[in-house]
Amino acid sequence: MHSNRLGWLLLAPTMIILFFFGVVPFFYVIWVSFHQWNPFAANPNMVFNWASNYRQVVFDAQLMASLGVTFAFVFFAVVSELILGYLLAQAFMKDFPGKAFFRTIHTLPLIMAPIIVGSIWKLMTTPSIGIIPSLVQSWFGLDLNIGQSALAAFTVTVVMDIWHWTPLVTLSLIAALVSLPPDPFEQAQIDGANKRQIFWHITLPMIAPAVVATVFIRLMDALRTVDEVLMLTGGGPGSATRYIGVHIFKEVFPRTNYGYGSAISVVVLYMTIVICWLLYVGLIAPRNTKKG
Amino acid sequence: MANVKIDNVVKRYGAVQVMHGVNVDIEHGEFVVLVGPSGCGKSTLLRMLAGLEEISDGTISIGDKVVNGVSPKDRDISMVFQSYALYPHKTVAENIGFPLKMAKRPKAEIDEKVTRAAKILDLAHLLDRFPKQLSGGQRQRVAMGRAIVRDPQVFLFDEPLSNLDAKLRVTMRVEIKELHQRLKTTIVYVTHDQIEAMTMADKIVVMRDGRVEQIGAPLDLYDRPGNVFVAGFIGSPSMNFLRGKIASADGAKQFASDSGLRLPLPDTGAPDGAEVIYGIRPEHIGVSADGTAGGVPVNVVVVEPTGSETQIFAKAGGDVIDAIVKDRIRAAPGSQIHFVIDPANVHLFDAKTEQRI
Repeated sequence: MHSNRLGWLLLAPTMIILFFFGVVPFFYVIWVSFHQWNPFAANPNMVFNWASNYRQVVFDAQLMASLGVTFAFVFFAVVSELILGYLLAQAFMKDFPGKAFFRTIHTLPLIMAPIIVGSIWKLMTTPSIGIIPSLVQSWFGLDLNIGQSALAAFTVTVVMDIWHWTPLVTLSLIAALVSLPPDPFEQAQIDGANKRQIFWHITLPMIAPAVVATVFIRLMDALRTVDEVLMLTGGGPGSATRYIGVHIFKEVFPRTNYGYGSAISVVVLYMTIVICWLLYVGLIAPRNTKKG
Repeated sequence: MANVKIDNVVKRYGAVQVMHGVNVDIEHGEFVVLVGPSGCGKSTLLRMLAGLEEISDGTISIGDKVVNGVSPKDRDISMVFQSYALYPHKTVAENIGFPLKMAKRPKAEIDEKVTRAAKILDLAHLLDRFPKQLSGGQRQRVAMGRAIVRDPQVFLFDEPLSNLDAKLRVTMRVEIKELHQRLKTTIVYVTHDQIEAMTMADKIVVMRDGRVEQIGAPLDLYDRPGNVFVAGFIGSPSMNFLRGKIASADGAKQFASDSGLRLPLPDTGAPDGAEVIYGIRPEHIGVSADGTAGGVPVNVVVVEPTGSETQIFAKAGGDVIDAIVKDRIRAAPGSQIHFVIDPANVHLFDAKTEQRI
């Protein structure tokens, strides 16, 4: 009994902080999402307006367009990060001179604040002074201008996300690969499996839990990307890179449309949960039930 | 099925040489056990046979084909690891069928062969389970099932029983031997347990420090060990060794130990004064309580009765000798009894080279 009370006492600071910084804002956002609230409107007060913010969400053409480009962004970014991250993790499993150095260097993007990443990439992609348009021009003869071309802007945001977050995938896959027992791999060689078969039949299933966890983390992060993209393209040109996070930001801050912004946030949160749940049901649950 | 020829095989890790020209000929269908203390190179040799380790020098052939540069998947071998190396995410049936699936056999054939292997190994009711739901002995059998489905030329076993408890080890020992008698496939089996080696092998290869010490049938090694190492390694409990010289007394040759014991000798050509190591197995020592049958007087140190036999540790001069007898001896520690040694059972080794005389 005594130790139980001590346990709660030790947990208390964390729980209090979590309560005020996690639970309270969460319910506050839900609360706000049921109100008309724009401090610079004719009526600056919060006015309860039932679910009309949610009704507006459904008819918001810009929101639907944002969702479309967001899904495309998330798909290309996360899939590329997974493939590239796995290849890098495999490379770091082998010994080569300077391995420790490269492993440290390659994790540097991870410790950068997204806003800094956005600024760096903005500098690198600004036409006439940036290194990237210059290289693209000299290698491929293409004129890269993310201020004009929607495709270029979209591609650069995807590449920036890959640059920023692939190291996370690499690190978690290295951890997964290192912890694998060597015997099943030697056994598979003896059982007649070639490299491709070993990957599909042994490696991938054995690191699947780590892969799925990494996909979850990256998926949730990518769905709420704001600052990097805002810094790099500001959501443009037009609304080519107005991903859902950017859309919410623009509704809430420049337009001070707090009620409507909160409603979109709640909907996006709900969608994120549903997507993760679908992934869980599709990828993890069958393995668990099969194993009893 | 095939014969295996290991010809002058050398293994180096950088400048360190760990295998020094090993030669072993394995006949087609033979059960060969590589045995030795840990670090003797037996597992390395097996892994070289499997293709998991490169060979620095010499050749290994399976059948008539030199396999030095051949990758494991093309050697037509099966291997059972000490850890069993089951695929944790695959069911028993998928584990057993994996080599066939990799060989792109038709599904009907895989099912049929898996069912047959499961029947042989008594796994039929476990086919849908995952490895983590199995006991150690069952996992062991799944690993064997995976080895036998593809009908390889050679089976390799790397200490397959050392993770099992003592009772199960005996059962599995019998099962593996039975399996070999049924399948008649060449088997190379690595163990550090000389009992396993003695009971299962057609031929034992005793190794130490990357060298072959002796090759022979189990009982030949027991009866005529080629050197002190093999004599001490084969047989349990281990042979007694006494250091001393050959001496003559009353016209007969005797062994005079450094601690002053006088023991009977077989007929050997060894001259008087030659320094030798005298070996006698505990089970070849008789015990006489009163010394009427002759024998060497010794002082009892410890008596260990196990029911079927009694092991006696006794001091003679400065040496402790142990003996195993079938009789139930009641001897108090400190009391005197007599050890009776039949010269025919004595092994003599040269003190310098440690080779058999």
